[in-house]
Amino acid sequence: MVKFLKPNKAVIVLNGRFAGRKAVIIRAFDEGTRDRPYGHCLVAGISKYPKKVIRKDSAKKTAKKSRVKAFIKLVNYNHIMPTRYTLDVDLKDVVTPDCLASRDKKVTAAKATKAKLEERFKTGKNRWFFTKLRF
Amino acid sequence: MVAGKKTKKTHESINNRLALVMKSGKYTLGYKTVLESLRSSKGKLIIISNNCPPLRKSEIEYYAMLAKVGVHHYNGSKFTRIYPCYFYMKCWLNCYHLMILPCVFVLLTVRN
Repeated sequence: MVKFLKPNKAVIVLNGRFAGRKAVIIRAFDEGTRDRPYGHCLVAGISKYPKKVIRKDSAKKTAKKSRVKAFIKLVNYNHIMPTRYTLDVDLKDVVTPDCLASRDKKVTAAKATKAKLEERFKTGKNRWFFTKLRF
Repeated sequence: MVAGKKTKKTHESINNRLALVMKSGKYTLGYKTVLESLRSSKGKLIIISNNCPPLRKSEIEYYAMLAKVGVHHYNGSKFTRIYPCYFYMKCWLNCYHLMILPCVFVLLTVRN
């Protein structure tokens, strides 16, 4: 009886190109919109996870391995699996529904998301979110 | 799982409450509608039959844990005649055969 598909909820995308990737809900549209008359949400997720960094790595290698590639997507509720985790990243102003309108906007939004996610990864918090789901 | 050792008495009382809800409350049957009602936080109780595939059962239980909704493991498979629902079974019977799904009830309002 508690609504759990809320912003900052970590979810796993189940279908599509990003199946198996972890994402975070930015905005939830429970009622749907005219274009999408079903419950869906705007998620920002990790398209390429950061690789495992070992002690031996030089600074350059660490920087390269810690890169994250992000994606932004509108996903149907049926195609995500919510988890008990949350990710407190402030992506509300970066990722908006109209940034999916054109390709340029999408790319800039994805780059901004990538920067925020990388910064979060480097602090070492939310480790679950940045580990690849093995299946 | 204690479900297997349910006594006759509690079995009957669940059935009684089910009868009440079927008559006066709202419910939905089936996996898809259960997920919908969990996501929209409308469901109050979920009943899972005992022949539900374990992966699906775990999935429903996880959703219910997130939504803080109770889950009840019914001591019977979807094919057991659930007496209070018998009347409704007649019209839902087709759905079961077609969907080949274990029956998962969601009781939307429970009077008591």
